[in-house]
Formats: sequence, structure tokens, C-alpha cells
Amino acid sequence: MIGVLEAKYPFLDRAVEMVGVLGLRVEELVGFGDVVDRGFERVSEAILRGVVSYRGENPEVEMLSFPVALMFVSLIGDPFLDRRYALAEGKRAYRLLREEAEEVIAEVAESFNWNIRLRRAILDGQLYSFELHFADYLRNASGFHEDKWKLVNRVMRNGYVLLTKAEAARLLECEVENLILQRVSRHRRIELPGELEKRVEMLKKLLEEHRGQIGGETLPERVDVEAFPPCIRRIFEAVLAGRKASHMERFALVSFLLNAGMSIEETAELFTSISDFDPEMTRYQVEHIAGLRGSRTKYKPPNCDTLRTHGICQNPDNLCRRVRNPITYYIIKARRGRRRRGKTS
Amino acid sequence: MAAEREIQLISEKFREFYAKGRIETPREMERREFGFIPFGAKAMFRHLSFSTPEDLRLYLVKNTPAHVYYSSAYYENPEAEMERKGWLGADLIFDIDADHIETPCKAEHDRWRCKGCGLEGRGETPESCPRCGGISFEEEKWICNRCLDAARHEAQKLLDILIGDFGFSPIDELEVSFTGHRGYHIHVSSPNIRELDQPARREIVDYILGTGIKAELHGFKPSLERLTTGEGGWRDRLIKALYDYLEEADLKALMEAGLSRATASKILEIKDRLLQILWDGRPSLALRLIRRRTLDKLVEAAVEREASAIDTVVTTDLHRLIRLPGTLHGKTGLIAQRVSVEILDDYDPLVEAVAFKGGMLKVYVERAPRFSIGGVLYGPYIGEEVELPMEAALYLLCKGAARLAG
Repeated sequence: MIGVLEAKYPFLDRAVEMVGVLGLRVEELVGFGDVVDRGFERVSEAILRGVVSYRGENPEVEMLSFPVALMFVSLIGDPFLDRRYALAEGKRAYRLLREEAEEVIAEVAESFNWNIRLRRAILDGQLYSFELHFADYLRNASGFHEDKWKLVNRVMRNGYVLLTKAEAARLLECEVENLILQRVSRHRRIELPGELEKRVEMLKKLLEEHRGQIGGETLPERVDVEAFPPCIRRIFEAVLAGRKASHMERFALVSFLLNAGMSIEETAELFTSISDFDPEMTRYQVEHIAGLRGSRTKYKPPNCDTLRTHGICQNPDNLCRRVRNPITYYIIKARRGRRRRGKTS
Repeated sequence: MAAEREIQLISEKFREFYAKGRIETPREMERREFGFIPFGAKAMFRHLSFSTPEDLRLYLVKNTPAHVYYSSAYYENPEAEMERKGWLGADLIFDIDADHIETPCKAEHDRWRCKGCGLEGRGETPESCPRCGGISFEEEKWICNRCLDAARHEAQKLLDILIGDFGFSPIDELEVSFTGHRGYHIHVSSPNIRELDQPARREIVDYILGTGIKAELHGFKPSLERLTTGEGGWRDRLIKALYDYLEEADLKALMEAGLSRATASKILEIKDRLLQILWDGRPSLALRLIRRRTLDKLVEAAVEREASAIDTVVTTDLHRLIRLPGTLHGKTGLIAQRVSVEILDDYDPLVEAVAFKGGMLKVYVERAPRFSIGGVLYGPYIGEEVELPMEAALYLLCKGAARLAG
């Protein structure tokens, strides 16, 4: 019997098993118009609104449409859609979980192998319902940037972190998102009946129409020192003055400069011209960070969190509070600078 | 660095040490990468692996490296180049080094010399030479009991957090070891933390250092009448830290914390009331007396004093090579020694970690401050020939502060 829980949380093992037992094959799907319609709707909701709705009237359709939607997304094979769909399903799960009883949240959490326990506590007038092992907590919360999610601002004892219901639901949203992202990223090619192929084409078109709305920011054409964030500026000036910079500081500076568009030559020159850095070694290291050597990864500058941990973030300004990476700061500040200069000249 | 004749003698002694006994190995040693620095070399031989303790011991006897390292990480192929190793997870490592702790005694035993202009000085090496602005220095660092005590104190603070807050078992999951030089390493091996990624490990570092802590999120809100305490963690530690800090703080300390002279004086005036309020756990009352920004500054200063001085880079590195406990440190001849958590309090590395005992050796000492080894005080020496017990002579030879006499 397909229950409410499977309809709400179709990613749960028990729901996936039920779908397996039904053993629907792709060719047979055409006969289940409402399932295909709802699967199509799930993906289009993700594209248009960034969140998938919940339709509880027909639990079977709600549950069965989930693997159909996964199939659509995975067939389209666009990493941008993969992320957007995973996020939208995650949000759907969050909205539903938030309203559930503690026991249901715990059950869903355990399906992700969380080490979670029910524990009621009132702290500073706030009701907490769970305690969660810090490793499960960090796996999901270390990507959040609000102060309240930092482990240091939580109440933790004996390895367990206190959580409210809403917080547990929010962390589960991450799990759901990751799970779905993993499933849809395995892009594959299968033959679809014409009716379904048509739906895939419609979704692709919808995606193209809306992709443009999420615009990217662009770098200034020439490296603009005035727009450097305080942390990078401090290291930059220290290196220019021939003062000592730590390994982490040098890495932050070099990766920043390269990402801001400075050439490998100019970057290496900066270090060798003013101090006793070995020119060959410096060039080698700069090339490494640029992704020409070793692991072939082009390194991005460390995020602000990382710089804070290593004591490199020292005098953050107002703009710093809005960004997570020095490069984003640079892009915004440079754009402001261009506007201002544009006005005065 | 010691010269040819000295290296030969030290190697001989290291060989005897490794030939004598069993070697301690990390868990799942076959999944670890090993690395070695030979005497007289600067570069490391790495990407090696050993499947049994005996294989490793025979390697050590044959090659007598100055330093022995293993990876905190577990790999599918520990011998492969970095990108092909196949990372499976890593222990959590904490490094506490007296180099990063301010101790007054450094002015007595540490020296530096600018490679550019030859200017010499005592204590901590400056960022750049005060005379010529150069940034390369020769450094001379010595171990002393006060530095080691300071490092041990930091290690104990760290253990309190790891056991009380993180819930690690001091028996099964935590290992403490003396590094053989100026500090301690703490290794955490537990399936729970093995696969944590870098952001997660960074959060652990921030937790231990108190980085990013917000008083507001620990109950310091104008609307809150009474704080809930007794839950452990930073909540209780924060209140204690604030209390201790305020109790001791004078005008200078408060101004160093970033307060204006006027605010600092006001805090001192109302100090007793503030302490009482903290004792009673009444945040709303506290915030009626001092502004939020002032409180944030006090919290920052208090937390810094309370937090444990760990090296942030080591703990967040997923591929770190660390000194293998039970092996010898090539710069001191001391054993990098495992210490059980219960006896850390009474552990004296300069006695316990001595590897070479017996016999005397005549050496010519260039320069050495007063130092203690094996419970005996030696020196200071300057440009003199002395006959010393083996452990003291080897220590000086390893340091490169002495050569064989004659």
C-alpha cells in the first residue's frame, strides 16, 4: 500500500523499493498519463520556481512521478539543471519535513544513516527536539554561512549537537539535494517512446528560455588593485614591501591574482623582483596553482571562511560581509568603481 | 647540521636504537604513505609504503633516516603519485608547537641571524630584519621545560574539548605524542571523522579556537532574563572565560582588547557588578550595562585566552605527513613518544623521551644555552671542549651545536 510518507518522501528506500516491485518499464509509462504529466511538472516547477510542490491527492502519482522526473533530468544531461532540480526537490522535502512530528523526521534522518536521537530540551526559551552526532551535522552544515550554523555557536556535548525541528529539516534538505544530485548526474542515453521524447524536448526548451535569467558576473578587463579585498590587499602590499608572507597567504594571493586575470609571468615576477625568492621555484609554484602542472586543477582563491580560520581575514569591511570569496568581492567592487569613474569622467 | 663524522656517529646510534626493538605502527599501516628525510638532506623521500611493522623496522635499520613520517590519510594506493593515490579518509591531527605559543623564556634560549646583513638577535625571529629588511634568517631554537610545559597545557585544553565536547574516547580514539622537539601531536582515529572533508575539518578547527563565536548565539540577548547553563560546550566555557578574563583584566588588557580608554575605565568601575551578573547568568542585565560591541570585544579577548593554540593548517590538511610516534627526531635524538592521556600531567619528555643512555663522549661545543636532558642540567657552553654523558652529547650533535672533539 502506498502511503502518505512514500508520496511525500519518494527518495526513501521503502518508496524506491515499491517502485521497483511495480516494475514499470519505460514503454509502459505512456499508459500512465498522469504519472508522466506530474513528472514533467516536477521538472518544470524546478526550472520556473526553484521548488517542487507537493500534491497529496493521489499518493501513487506523487510517488511514481519522482523516478520519472529523475529520468527526464538525467536524460537532458545538463549539469545546471541537475543542480537546480536537486535543489528544488530538497526544498520540497524541507517544507514538508518542517511540519512533521519528531518521529517522522527521525525516521527520514535514519534512512540517511544519521546518528540522531530524540531529546527534548529548552534552552534560552527555545525548544530543541533532537541531538545529532557532530559528524553528520558537519557533513551538511559546513556549507552554510550563517553564524548560527557554525559548530562553535551550537550547544554540543559528548559529540552530539542540539537541534530544533526546523533545523533538522534544513539539514535533511541538504541530504536530499545531494542524494538527488548524485542520481541525476549519472547521465545516460536510452531510447524513449515518442510521447516521452516530446516531453524531454519541451523541458530542454523551457530550460533554455530561463537559463539566461541567472546571469554571471564578469571580471574587469585589467587587474584593478583598488578593488582588491582587504585581506588580499594586505598580503599584496606585504609582498611588495618584501615582508614575510606565510605559505597560506602566498597561496591566497597567487590564486587570487591568477583568477583576477593576471598572467603567470606577471604573478611570478611580482615575487622574484622584490625579494630573494628563487625564480624557477616561484614560477613552478605559480604554474602549479594556475593548473599547468601537477593535478591540473586551476585553483580558486580560498573562501572567506578558510581565510578566517587561518587568521588571514583581519579587517573585513561592509562588502566582505556580503561575499564568500575574495573574487566575488573583487568583481562587485570593481563594478562599483567602474560606475563611479564612469560618472565622474 | 652536523658534518660527516658526526652524521656517521648519529646514524650508528639511530641504527642501534631501531635494531633493538619493535617499532610502533599506525592503524592500517598498509594504507598509509610513508616519507623519510635522511641526515644532511633537505628533501623528503616519499610515496613509500610498508605492509608489516617488521618491513618498516628493517628499512629504518638499513637507512637510518633523520626523520620518519606517515600520512594521516588512508589511500587505496599509498605509493602512487598524489592524484592517483585514491583518498579513502584521514585521521584528524592536531599539532601544538611551542613555536606558536608566546613564552618569555624564548628570549633566553632562541636566537636568529639575518642572512642578508648578519644582524643577530634573541627570542622570536622577526618578520623582517630591523636593519636591512631582509626576510631570510638562520634560526637557533632550543627546547626547555617552560616551553614544553606551555605546549602541554595547550594539549590538555585541547583534550578537554575533544573528550567533553566532541565525545572522543581517550582510550580508543585519542593518541597523544611528544613530537621529539618542542610540542605535542594529538591523533584522532575514529570511523566517525575519517571521511570528513576540508570544510568540516575547518569547522572543527574554528570550534577549538573559538573562531567566529557569537555571544548572542550563546544567549546574550537583551530579551533573555536567565541563561540556560550546564549544557557543557562553548556555552559554559564562554561564561567561565569571560568571568576569568574580566576578573583579571586591567586597563591595559582591556585597551589591548580594542576598547577605548573611557570604555575600559567604565568596565573596571562596574567590574564587580558584571562579575556577579555573569555568575548569576543574567544576559539581559549585562546588556543593560555594556553595549553589544563592547561585549563582542570582551568575548573575543576572553575566548582567545581560553582556546587551545593549535596549528590550523595541519588539521585542515587531508594529506598531511606527520612524524611517526616511536621514531627518533633527527634534530634532538629524542624519541617522538606516545603518552597516554592519563599520565600526560606527570610526563616529562626531557627525561622519558631520552633514547641514548650509557657512556661518555667528548665534544667541542660551539654555543649552547643552559639545557636539561635526562633530569640533569648542562651548560651554558661557549667554544669549549667538554666530556658529556651520551644523551647530552648526542643532543648537542643532533642540534648541530657541537662536533666530535679531536
